Amino acid sequence: MNSQIFHPFVLPFVLGMAFVLTYCVVGLLRVIGQLPKDDRKQFWRSLVTPKTAWANIRDLVGDCLFHVKIWKRNPVLGYMHTAIAFGWFMIIVIGHVMLFTLRPLEGVEVQGIERMLPNFYYPIFFKYFAEETPIFAVLMDFFLLMIISGILIAVVKKIHSKIVGVKRIMHFGFADNMIRFALWTIFPFRLIAEKSNIMAFWWLYSIDLMVFMFMLPFTRYMHIPTEALFILLRHAGLKPREPRKGYALAQIYSCPSCGLCIDACPMSVNDKNSGNTSAYFMKRLRNGDREEAQRIAETCMQCGKCVAVCPVSIESCDIKMSQREAVPYTINSNHSYLDAYYPSETSNAPVLYFAGCMTQLTPKIMRAMKKIMEAAGEKYEFMDKDGGVCCGRPMLLSGKTAEAQAMMAKNTELIKQSGAKRLVLSCPICYKVFKEEYQLEGVEILHHTQYIDELVKKGKLKVNKNEVNYVYHDPCELGRAFGVYDEPREVIESIGNLCKAKSEKELSICCGGSLGSFNLTQQERDEITTISVNDLMFNNPDEIVTACPLCLKTFARKSPVAVKDIAEVVADQLK
Amino acid sequence: MKENILIIGGGAAGMEAATQLHKMGLNPIIIEKSEALGGHIAQWDRLFPAFHPAKDVVDKMLDQVKGIDVRLNTEVVDIQRDNNGFHAVLSNNEKIDAQAVILATGFDVFKAERKQEYGYGIYNNVMTSVELEKFFRTGKDDRINHPKRIGFVHCVGARDVKVCNTYCSKVCCTTALKQACEIKEVFPDAEVYTFYMDLRMFGPGYEDLYLKTQKDFDVKCVRGRVCEVSEDMDGKLVIKAEDTLFGKPLKMTLDLLVLMCSMEKNKSIDAIQQKLGVANNSDGFMQNKDMYLGMNDTAQDGVFVAGACTAPKSLPDTIGEARSVATQVYNYLNR
Repeated sequence: MNSQIFHPFVLPFVLGMAFVLTYCVVGLLRVIGQLPKDDRKQFWRSLVTPKTAWANIRDLVGDCLFHVKIWKRNPVLGYMHTAIAFGWFMIIVIGHVMLFTLRPLEGVEVQGIERMLPNFYYPIFFKYFAEETPIFAVLMDFFLLMIISGILIAVVKKIHSKIVGVKRIMHFGFADNMIRFALWTIFPFRLIAEKSNIMAFWWLYSIDLMVFMFMLPFTRYMHIPTEALFILLRHAGLKPREPRKGYALAQIYSCPSCGLCIDACPMSVNDKNSGNTSAYFMKRLRNGDREEAQRIAETCMQCGKCVAVCPVSIESCDIKMSQREAVPYTINSNHSYLDAYYPSETSNAPVLYFAGCMTQLTPKIMRAMKKIMEAAGEKYEFMDKDGGVCCGRPMLLSGKTAEAQAMMAKNTELIKQSGAKRLVLSCPICYKVFKEEYQLEGVEILHHTQYIDELVKKGKLKVNKNEVNYVYHDPCELGRAFGVYDEPREVIESIGNLCKAKSEKELSICCGGSLGSFNLTQQERDEITTISVNDLMFNNPDEIVTACPLCLKTFARKSPVAVKDIAEVVADQLK
Repeated sequence: MKENILIIGGGAAGMEAATQLHKMGLNPIIIEKSEALGGHIAQWDRLFPAFHPAKDVVDKMLDQVKGIDVRLNTEVVDIQRDNNGFHAVLSNNEKIDAQAVILATGFDVFKAERKQEYGYGIYNNVMTSVELEKFFRTGKDDRINHPKRIGFVHCVGARDVKVCNTYCSKVCCTTALKQACEIKEVFPDAEVYTFYMDLRMFGPGYEDLYLKTQKDFDVKCVRGRVCEVSEDMDGKLVIKAEDTLFGKPLKMTLDLLVLMCSMEKNKSIDAIQQKLGVANNSDGFMQNKDMYLGMNDTAQDGVFVAGACTAPKSLPDTIGEARSVATQVYNYLNR
């Protein structure tokens, strides 16, 4: 025990800490300042709304402290991250607890500012200055060893990532590699310093901490402080408006570059494209590399799998969309025809069916839907029987919001005019935009999987069960976007045997035909289609069933078995 | 003993190659999976550009292969190679040794169901060019009931990224015009339209056929792709297309729609092809050694290709290649 209250080796740490705290406060003010006024209001309100406040507490504890989402994704990585982050958190907490239990310090008489000063660094260098009580000493050693075990896994992951179940890891630049080295050495230095009390190691430990904290804002480790803010903003229900400001900025700094999205991204099937994954997109944005960020934003298929697997829930798809809006695709379009467009007739039927362009190109689905609605005795009107107005999604995906809104306004007018209470859609691409962008109060929006499921359950639709083994493909814009996983599966179970794909539900692999990407080549898309089909064929089904006309057309090129829409298979099994 | 040459495929290419090799004193053996020789051409009624009966040509070819070893209803199920040549096992368990192999496996017709937007297999009055040819041959097809307005769609499954076929299928343009004239002959009162991207009239007399189609047969050629087909209340077809010369969208009601299906690589040979070590090119057809001087050669010595197995080809192209492959095989055996 060293009966003193100060030693110069604490200075590097104190400097680093002061720097990081200042940076975080400034950053926090900047992010909040950049929020649009309405968003800011919404944010403040969310903090005091019981529901969101509870969600905040739940996720702050669950994600920031216990890293629940990483555990779910990969238990080895879960342990690695928890060992380091939670272990570190605990030794800081225990350090502070000890500070309270041991005061006043024996043999040290100090007052005023000098009495306060040790509070900053005592918990970090406790053993140099004071003696730990045995119980705390054991706890401290336990957590320190836990951290070191986590670091050992991290070293293994760096050298041979497949051992921990990760195929591809991020490639980092100098700063990220250096700060990682600092992080890995902090704790061994501390352990040696504590056990041997050699001054050099106390210095090394402190300097390591300083290096870590000075580099933190400029590296991926900035996710440590930022994630907390991001959780609060996310629960406030905000959307990124600009790709590098406000809410998006909080997300950019919250991305830990863990690279879990690299293996998840369907584009990674081609190694060349693994640089187009969300982890790299976020890194480009952080580094201000607008051109590359724009290119990646335009390459992305918007399938949302990276969002589904992200342990931090970064909404990278939304940020890519805001990046596209910032630099819209250069096509000029003329929508003057919209004014002259009128529907053929209105029948005041309660159900309005909108096939959409893709379903118009797959007339089997339209036919099946007609057959189903007629068999169920539903009164319906076919909204785009003689051609209709596009839902607007392709324009939105191109970042052309104004053009999309012109079409959306026309469709809204037509739907309101029809007097229908329910809108049934066959295309998940339309479904997404109708659900998210349209203002259709009083009109229930359903995808035909949900609609058919309801008709079957209500007994309006009588179906036969056959012995065919079906596998169901979750279309990205129905599954991951809206969680419509159970309805189609229940429908299929009512008409035949449902077998499982290798990756299902939120892990389902995009068909490769996505409208989202502007610059994937046909060959690159084919590679994705092939892995997706192989994944579906895992249990040797007789037929592939999907619920999206685009998936249907895409799979039909590569599938060894028949590919059908869920409406088609149901229509074939009507009693 | 004469040297055996295994010819897989008994269509135009296989028959003509066999004829030439036989004349050279070699022993060609044709393995044909169907019950008759003649391949696709035997299913055809008349040939462009001069409306020459296909039967004439096929009969002459059949006459020439008389005396040549032909195995019908037979497929090659396995093939191995060693220093003594090729050793094939046929589906009838027969074993054949050969000094050289000619792949003359031809093409498959594009499955029109894959372009669902054209409604084949969904709407009654949509048919393929192959089926129309059968109608010309037999005079029978339930779908053809005195149609008043008929449309032909070019490039179905060709030059189309959406079905992964970016290549031109070469013969469909001329075939469409030939068939347009022929249907007009059968139904002189009908209006006939063809919807094309480009009209590729590459051979002798083809351009004349194009002029004749318009002048003598009053067929209307519209430059633009059909995008969608649907059915109206009366079961008539409603097509949407764009007339790119007018720059305007177009909607038309038809009684009959004919899809000019492209050629695709014959995939039933894939397993044997793989055993022989012959790769595919980017269009999915077999890869020959080079497109100028090595069109009949493959990466494997002793394995040759002829006809539409390497790319879509017209009948004269195929005959030419079949004759040249015979020379190549002869030179190979006498090297």
